[in-house]
Amino acid sequence: MNHPLTNNYRLLIYYALFWAVIGVTNLILLIFFYNVPFTYSLLDTISTFVIYPLLGSSIWYSIRYNNPEEITIGRLIVFHFIAASILCGIWVTLIYAIFKPFVPQGNDFLKNTLPSKIFGGYVMYAVYLIFFYAVNYYQSLKEKVKKEGEYMALIREAELQALKSQINPHFLFNSLNSISSLTVSDPEKAQEMVINLSTFMRYSLLHNEKEMVAFSRELENIKLYLSIEKVRFGKKLNAEFEIDAHCLDAEIPNMILQPLFENAIKYGVYETTDQVTIKTTCECDGNVLKITIVNDYDHSTLKRKGEGIGLRNIRKRMEIIYNQPDLMKITDNKTSFEVQLIIPQKQALS
Amino acid sequence: MSEKLQTLIIEDEELARNLLRSYLKDQPEIEIIGECENGFDGVKAINEKKPDLVFLDIQMPKITGFEMIELLDYKPQIIFTTAYDQFALKAFELNAVDYLLKPFSKDRMLSAIEKVKHRIQNGEDTAEKLEELSNFRAGEEFIDRVVVKDRHKIHIITVDQIRYIESLDDYVMIYTNDGRHMKQKTMKFFENSLDPKNFIRIHRSYIVHVDHIAEIQQYEKESYIVILKDKDKTKLKVSKTGYKKIKETLHF
Repeated sequence: MNHPLTNNYRLLIYYALFWAVIGVTNLILLIFFYNVPFTYSLLDTISTFVIYPLLGSSIWYSIRYNNPEEITIGRLIVFHFIAASILCGIWVTLIYAIFKPFVPQGNDFLKNTLPSKIFGGYVMYAVYLIFFYAVNYYQSLKEKVKKEGEYMALIREAELQALKSQINPHFLFNSLNSISSLTVSDPEKAQEMVINLSTFMRYSLLHNEKEMVAFSRELENIKLYLSIEKVRFGKKLNAEFEIDAHCLDAEIPNMILQPLFENAIKYGVYETTDQVTIKTTCECDGNVLKITIVNDYDHSTLKRKGEGIGLRNIRKRMEIIYNQPDLMKITDNKTSFEVQLIIPQKQALS
Repeated sequence: MSEKLQTLIIEDEELARNLLRSYLKDQPEIEIIGECENGFDGVKAINEKKPDLVFLDIQMPKITGFEMIELLDYKPQIIFTTAYDQFALKAFELNAVDYLLKPFSKDRMLSAIEKVKHRIQNGEDTAEKLEELSNFRAGEEFIDRVVVKDRHKIHIITVDQIRYIESLDDYVMIYTNDGRHMKQKTMKFFENSLDPKNFIRIHRSYIVHVDHIAEIQQYEKESYIVILKDKDKTKLKVSKTGYKKIKETLHF
């Protein structure tokens, strides 16, 4: 941490002004109330309110490198006493050097004021100490708050990164297996699937976890994902969409829907031998877009343990992005499973 | 070997089945005797057709490849196939069974078949290995369902349906709300595989679901019985350590 006075221009000005005001007041008092000759008054004022403040600013270093929490109180007192003595010694020497030419031989002015000057020097040291400790404390506090803020932002970012859906390796390898099979039976379709898979993966890799995309864009990606899964599951997977055209411009976090469809496939399509319909509907009123995804599932083979990690991640991600709880609603009807996302909009949808 | 290997493919995805079939098509020592799309059909086909070799997918609807193994009366040579399943991989490696990671090459598959042929020639039995495999899997995390077979019907029992389990030598009897099912598994297996928050081994012969306990009665000095919530008010003996475990779980 730098010296607060060189580091903070405004503080330096206040510091100078503060001593200037006190110095001028002192000067006036000495001349008009105590009838001290002008030269002496001026010299006294300069020594106490100009030279001392100049020297005193170095007291900062004596507290900066002595953390009271790290050394014992006894050592601290001894240290500061020695530092104060050195400072006062230098100060008094300087005063002598400056005053000498102005004070006639045999005048006791210097000698008489010396004890009170030295005493004053120690007291001023103590005042400076308190001042700098306060500044130091305030600065560390500010720094800590700032660091904490940065740290929280980092955590949030890391959390978001973790929460953003990653491509499920199971999905990837099964798709690659389908492609492997298609290269034998239907090379053209294999090529098409490679392209679809690449497009889907590129979409999921390109967008960062905070980025918002148009609902239409996310929907396109979902259809791509479903078309890849459809190659695997064939007739078993039936996807239906009922989307209002005027909802398409709504903004939603990228890749927020894909885990929901992945979930629907995992628990719906995967676990049964019958056809499963995944139905997607949406409505937008005022400042929210509501997306509802319903899929059938076979209750007899599954014991749903409430929210799986996929859904929990989405809930958490929505919470972090919108700073609002309960933006995801889950309804388990025993034969069908419904997830609704409520996505706040910055601009009202027309 | 003069006879062909009678081979069964159990795989839920059509394209994956097609690929296997195309790989096996020109193999003179392989004869595909059937294909199944799910675990239910798979169990039936294996028990009826008694194939020499089965290509078995792990992730399948209804019941998984692992659960299928528990239901087999007859244990053929099995080459497992899976796309990505860390649990399965660990189990395979520990038990040295053959497996293929999708997508796999024809060469890779042929070398797996070679190993199987070798084992058949040496008269190696796979049953024990497969048994270990199915027990291993449950050790990793708590199970959420149990598959059982009565005569020809397969039942999937989710663990919340289980009231209690009784030991019968090499078997256990699983009592549910609508009946009871026998299964060839040890008490130790269930004790380790069921979530101890819900299931307590109250006695050498009993594991009980805590939600089904109606009351605990002192029977003699230092001996207790548990009375269940069913209409018959089934009474189960509680051992000393069992009583301690009940106390710990239910906090009284």
